[in-house]
Amino acid sequence: MGRVKIARKSTFIDMTAMSDVTVLLLTFFMLTSTFLQKEPTTVITPPSVSTEKVQETNFVQVLVSPEGKVWLTMNNDTSSSWSNEKMRMALLDKVSEIYNESHKNKVNFNVAQKQAFAKLGSFGVPLQQMGEFLDLADQQEGQTKMDKWLSGEDENPNHITGIPVSWNSDENTLNEFQMWMKALRQTENDNLAQAIKDGTGVAIKADVNTSFDIIHMVMDNLQTIHMNKFTFLTALKAGE
Amino acid sequence: MAEVQQNSGGDGKKGAQKKMQIRVDFTPMVDMNMLLITFFMLCTTMIKSQTLTIALPSNEKVENQENMSQASADDAVTIIIDAKRKKGSLDVDSVNGHVVNEVYYYFGKPGGDAGIFGPGGTVLSENNNIQKSEFLSDEINAAGDHNARGIRQIIQQRNKDVLEEITKIKKKYAEGGFGSLETKADREAAQAAYDQAASEIRKNENLKKPVVIIKSTPQASFGSLVEILDEMQINSISKYQIDNMTRADSVMIIDYQNRNHE
Repeated sequence: MGRVKIARKSTFIDMTAMSDVTVLLLTFFMLTSTFLQKEPTTVITPPSVSTEKVQETNFVQVLVSPEGKVWLTMNNDTSSSWSNEKMRMALLDKVSEIYNESHKNKVNFNVAQKQAFAKLGSFGVPLQQMGEFLDLADQQEGQTKMDKWLSGEDENPNHITGIPVSWNSDENTLNEFQMWMKALRQTENDNLAQAIKDGTGVAIKADVNTSFDIIHMVMDNLQTIHMNKFTFLTALKAGE
Repeated sequence: MAEVQQNSGGDGKKGAQKKMQIRVDFTPMVDMNMLLITFFMLCTTMIKSQTLTIALPSNEKVENQENMSQASADDAVTIIIDAKRKKGSLDVDSVNGHVVNEVYYYFGKPGGDAGIFGPGGTVLSENNNIQKSEFLSDEINAAGDHNARGIRQIIQQRNKDVLEEITKIKKKYAEGGFGSLETKADREAAQAAYDQAASEIRKNENLKKPVVIIKSTPQASFGSLVEILDEMQINSISKYQIDNMTRADSVMIIDYQNRNHE
């Protein structure tokens, strides 16, 4: 009886096809991706049947945390003469001007601080601490320190997170949030001013479980400075 | 595929080179690609958020009282959103983690024509016309019909005239009454004509339309505000506004809760 010979087969698997597919997928994701902006707080926007898409440019996002803290993010039309950097610089000038009109303790920013501000993503610290905050940019691990301050994970108890906001219906004694919003309209960026007038320029982003009290305060603040039209950021509702 | 065969010149010659196979192992390449894909998948946002536009009335004091547009008591529907409570704390949906909200509503003036407050500010429970409802999605029966429930049903009943007209033009649209639905361009044109017709119906002064006043208690969630604004859109309500709670509203809710032992 002859022994049956089993041919030895190579276990080498050809990975070329697999590699082709993964490269294709990778290309797809690289081209379609827009990176998640790092935000000081994570919120889940409420579901809605509205199918209006969010604006790509010319709007200011007002991020509201469930505790009632407020941060701003600028989204400017980079194709026009107003880049994000230029807009932020103009905004900082304007807001300090408005602030100094009504406060004895004046705020002033040097060139380095202004340039640091121009590079910020979201921002939200009281104006009195803004200088100290912007100085962090030149330090070692400055970005991490700034992020920590913005998200309220800072160890320093003196560092206040969020733009100060409170109930206020008096146009003559604006709070800092109202000053920022007013300053936005007064920078000579016509595109943004028009968008704010149309109601697409201000987008409020808040968590689905944030209490109405806090949203109401933000809405009331905007109403006081005659910004009666704005949008809520929502997520698409499944079904219905 | 990933191999190159080298053919030696003439076979059997002296000093002929050995046949050699060059294989390139792509496994590490695939590993790396997978890692990169994972990174990009986790770091991207595919879905753009939607927006909901709202316009608030100007809060400047109106000097001339005659200029104020008063909703007639007949048309007014007041909806008050409140968060549901469960033994002191807010009730949270076990599935999606959202705060569960409920709605109170009344038609016309608080307490009806007689009002809710008696002499000396006493509360007249017998006049309390507040009722309670919930946010509920449509019930779909075996025949595929949508049956509105909860607050949506109540709004739909009040807005019957407009919704009937809207249903008519919806049918017309489906049958091609606003132009053919064959190509994409045709559909867009028909959709535009439909939107125009729908907007005219919503503005038609001859139809009886409710004016919805949306109020909210402080503890109600932002999600419920968006939800009630959605209901306005779903039910084609053209006139609605967000307003502040009044003392009568709070009193009526407390009175309702007391009577129903909540």
